[in-house]
Amino acid sequence: MSTIDRVAHTNRWRSRSLSEKALLAFGLLVVTLAFPPWPTAAAVLVAAAAAAMVGARVPVRIWGLAMAAPVGFVVTGAATLMVSLGDGGPALAPNGLVDAAALTLRASAAASALLLLAFTTPASDLVAGLARARVPAEIVELALLIYRFLFVLADTFAAMHAAQEARLGHVDWRRRIRSSGLLAANLLPRALDRAHRMEAGLAARGWDGGPLRVMTPRRPVSAAGLAAVVATLAALVGLGVATR
Amino acid sequence: MSLIRAEGLTHVYPGGVPALDGLDLVVEKGRRLAILGPNGAGKTTLLLHLNGTLRPTGGRILVDGVPAAYDRAGLARWRRRVGLVLQDADDQLFAPSVFEDVSFGPMNLDLPEAEVRVRVADALAALGIADLADRPTHMLSFGQKKRAAIAGAVAMRPEVLLIDEPTAGLDARSAKRLLATLAELEAGGTTLVFTTHDVDMAFRFADEAALFNHGRMIAHGAAKTILADVGAMDRAGLDAVDVRDHSAQ
Ligand SMILES: Nc1ncnc2c1ncn2[C@@H]1O[C@H](COP(=O)(O)OP(=O)(O)OP(=O)(O)O)[C@@H](O)[C@H]1O
Ligand SMILES: [Mg+2]
Repeated sequence: MSTIDRVAHTNRWRSRSLSEKALLAFGLLVVTLAFPPWPTAAAVLVAAAAAAMVGARVPVRIWGLAMAAPVGFVVTGAATLMVSLGDGGPALAPNGLVDAAALTLRASAAASALLLLAFTTPASDLVAGLARARVPAEIVELALLIYRFLFVLADTFAAMHAAQEARLGHVDWRRRIRSSGLLAANLLPRALDRAHRMEAGLAARGWDGGPLRVMTPRRPVSAAGLAAVVATLAALVGLGVATR
Repeated sequence: MSLIRAEGLTHVYPGGVPALDGLDLVVEKGRRLAILGPNGAGKTTLLLHLNGTLRPTGGRILVDGVPAAYDRAGLARWRRRVGLVLQDADDQLFAPSVFEDVSFGPMNLDLPEAEVRVRVADALAALGIADLADRPTHMLSFGQKKRAAIAGAVAMRPEVLLIDEPTAGLDARSAKRLLATLAELEAGGTTLVFTTHDVDMAFRFADEAALFNHGRMIAHGAAKTILADVGAMDRAGLDAVDVRDHSAQ
């Protein structure tokens, strides 16, 4: 979570407009689902990886680790396609290998398209995008506050945990359970306390309980960026149509 | 002229002992007022009264000589004039990026968009964090958060700026730079009221000092006099400034 967030804030595509990035990611997703997996999904996999690592400079190791989780999951699931239960007990399914590979390819391509968006766009930008897409302000505001609070709470949690550990609160499983219970019980009142003080801070800056208004920096769509996205998607669609 | 005046100010938190106990204080226009006292003396509680965040359980607050109004419109007017920076910057920063957070106050003033941009840019420049504008607030160091929080109040261009422990937790250089920034704001006409545990800093920086302990005022007057007064400082549970340290430089 925090790795994705950090990369999302620091990658080279950070300041690209949300529309460009969302169009690319969802375009790749649609292309993946619309055409047979070979060769389109393979091409999507390559395109998403190139966009992430070459374009946005997401570190190769981080991209690899992030992809490993969904791919591993899909491979495990796809492996069951290779076996069929016939009269004579389990046997290798006819076409099993091909089906499993196709499923793996398609699912991995879809995952890479979404990861591309996650790694290049902070959650807060995505939520701000929702606001522009006319999602009710209350929901958007709540999502933004949760986003901010998650990090504050994670810091509080880490500090409390470290303090417990320093006092040997986690040396064996009995103490660990006890300490974890205490920590969980204390996190809520602390969070409420902080919420109270935060409310005072907001009021001090003229907030009257209405919507939380801030000026979000606008990231204009660049013609070149948009053209590159459209060209990529068009090429993939062309590939899909030609090989169908 | 007195901008804000506290008369017999008393505050009792629910189920607690009085945090403020019949306190009288005058905030003069165009001065730098340092508030000193040991932990739990009531410094934070006092600041929260000076912008109407807390309501007195006894006594009253006067703004420009008129009893403060705690209705919606009254509080709005009050907070336009009196800005507050909380002790813990994490309590104050709520927006995803520094720019957005600092824009919050000016947006609440209903300023036109171009003016909001100017205010934010000026505040960030004044605090020396223009390069952090796009940084997410959770990816800042302690001192950077502090500056961002102060910028959030400064962008509203208040007449009075209340700051709870501006230099606590800052390294010596950062503290010095921050004080220079505050001095510039004051030169521009902002009245400063701040709490601190740093007696030497208050001696060098403040015009006036108010000492208190257990929610009661011990002494209030010229910083150079009060902070070197061994008797008063002792009653406030503090160590007096050794004037020789300062005159030596
Ligand atoms: N939210 C609260 N609920 C109950 N009691 C409180 C609350 N906040 C502060 N107090 C109590 O009120 C008294 C004054 O607290 P205050 O925070 O104003 O002190 P302070 O001078 O700012 O101290 P410090 O130097 O530690 O920041 C203390 O006795 C404290 O325990
Ligand atoms: Mg305090």
